[in-house]
Amino acid sequence: MAVIFLDSNKVEQLRNAINNDAEFKLAARFMSEDILLEVADSRSIIKVRNGVVTEIKLNPRSDDDWSFSIKATAESWDKLLQPSPPPFFTGLNAGMIRGNLEIVGNIEVAFAYYWAMNRMLDIMRQLQNK
Amino acid sequence: MARFDRASGRYIYVEVQNIEYRVYFEESGDGIPLLCQHSAGSDGQQWRHVLNDDQITSRYRVVVPDLPYHGKSQPPGSVQWWKEEYRLTRSFFIDFLVEFSRVLGLERPVYMGACMSGCLAPYLALEHPDKFRAVIGLEAVLRNEEVPLDFWDHPRISNNYKAAAMWSMMAPGSPERYKWETMWGFSQGGPPVLKGDFNYYFKEHDLTGKAQQIDTSRVPVYLLTGEFDPAASPEDTKQLAEQIKGAKFTEMKGIGHLSLCENPEVLKRYLMPILTEIAKI
Repeated sequence: MAVIFLDSNKVEQLRNAINNDAEFKLAARFMSEDILLEVADSRSIIKVRNGVVTEIKLNPRSDDDWSFSIKATAESWDKLLQPSPPPFFTGLNAGMIRGNLEIVGNIEVAFAYYWAMNRMLDIMRQLQNK
Repeated sequence: MARFDRASGRYIYVEVQNIEYRVYFEESGDGIPLLCQHSAGSDGQQWRHVLNDDQITSRYRVVVPDLPYHGKSQPPGSVQWWKEEYRLTRSFFIDFLVEFSRVLGLERPVYMGACMSGCLAPYLALEHPDKFRAVIGLEAVLRNEEVPLDFWDHPRISNNYKAAAMWSMMAPGSPERYKWETMWGFSQGGPPVLKGDFNYYFKEHDLTGKAQQIDTSRVPVYLLTGEFDPAASPEDTKQLAEQIKGAKFTEMKGIGHLSLCENPEVLKRYLMPILTEIAKI
């Protein structure tokens, strides 16, 4: 099964779910950033403007800009997105501490919007398992 | 009719390393003193479930201090603390707990700590075996690998980061309301406090070569760590336990790094047999 943020049939559903989530709206206020999500060599960019996801762009070009990237192997993403993730895959911080995912790029911005990223991951998990 | 919480709080003056601190603490219950120390970057509210537990407080006098600079224990009035970076040292941490116990008249308390305070438990057994009846370390490890700390106190990153970073430190099955309450505690700390506490946790905490010297016949050592703890995994704590002859290690299933408050029922399941055992000593 494709990871939801790489699935052309589901990214619009994901975009709507994130934008309709009350917690994400609080956490992402003032946020205008492009986030690169990577599963091995497959990628998408989530574009956020003033706290609203305006586009999830599949297969971005090499000259598409992004602020920070969340990167993990397919196996790690599979565990991160399980309905009840196993130890060391329960979320961003747990994954980073144990080396199961990486956040690279503008770390300062990534951490400033860490709450929003946390919530986005939870919404992805919910939809991935629907 | 008013419904009161079991815990009551007050202030006490404690002198540590020649500086006086006005220290806030809460307590509940009667019996063997059980000194419960909060984690890095939060305060005594983390122990509210233990303070309110009938079974525990019927046998133990639970005492929960806010470490200076945490919760309601303000920085000291006699120093210009705002001109230097806050850093918790191991010697201050140990001296504070010993002196707090002395001025409050706690007679050989049982010590229980979590996260950085859990790491301190074996140190107390090592350095003050006559002052503590037993020590319980939640999420204790031999030592921690140093990590970059700058983002834990950064002018462009709010305390929301500290709270959010704790989400995945807890187990997916822990009740949402307790997870959020735990995160709220981390969002309330003074901006430099969590990073300053990490000075002990990541830099000064190192029991390598020392853990073997702990005499558990003088002070029993109990180590408990949650299955879902990414910072101190059960395997990490097991390695520490193997260094301390006679230490008792238990992996707590279904709980994570904030085991002191993320799921009170699970913690109690593992804690009660230990408290029962200690009460017989």
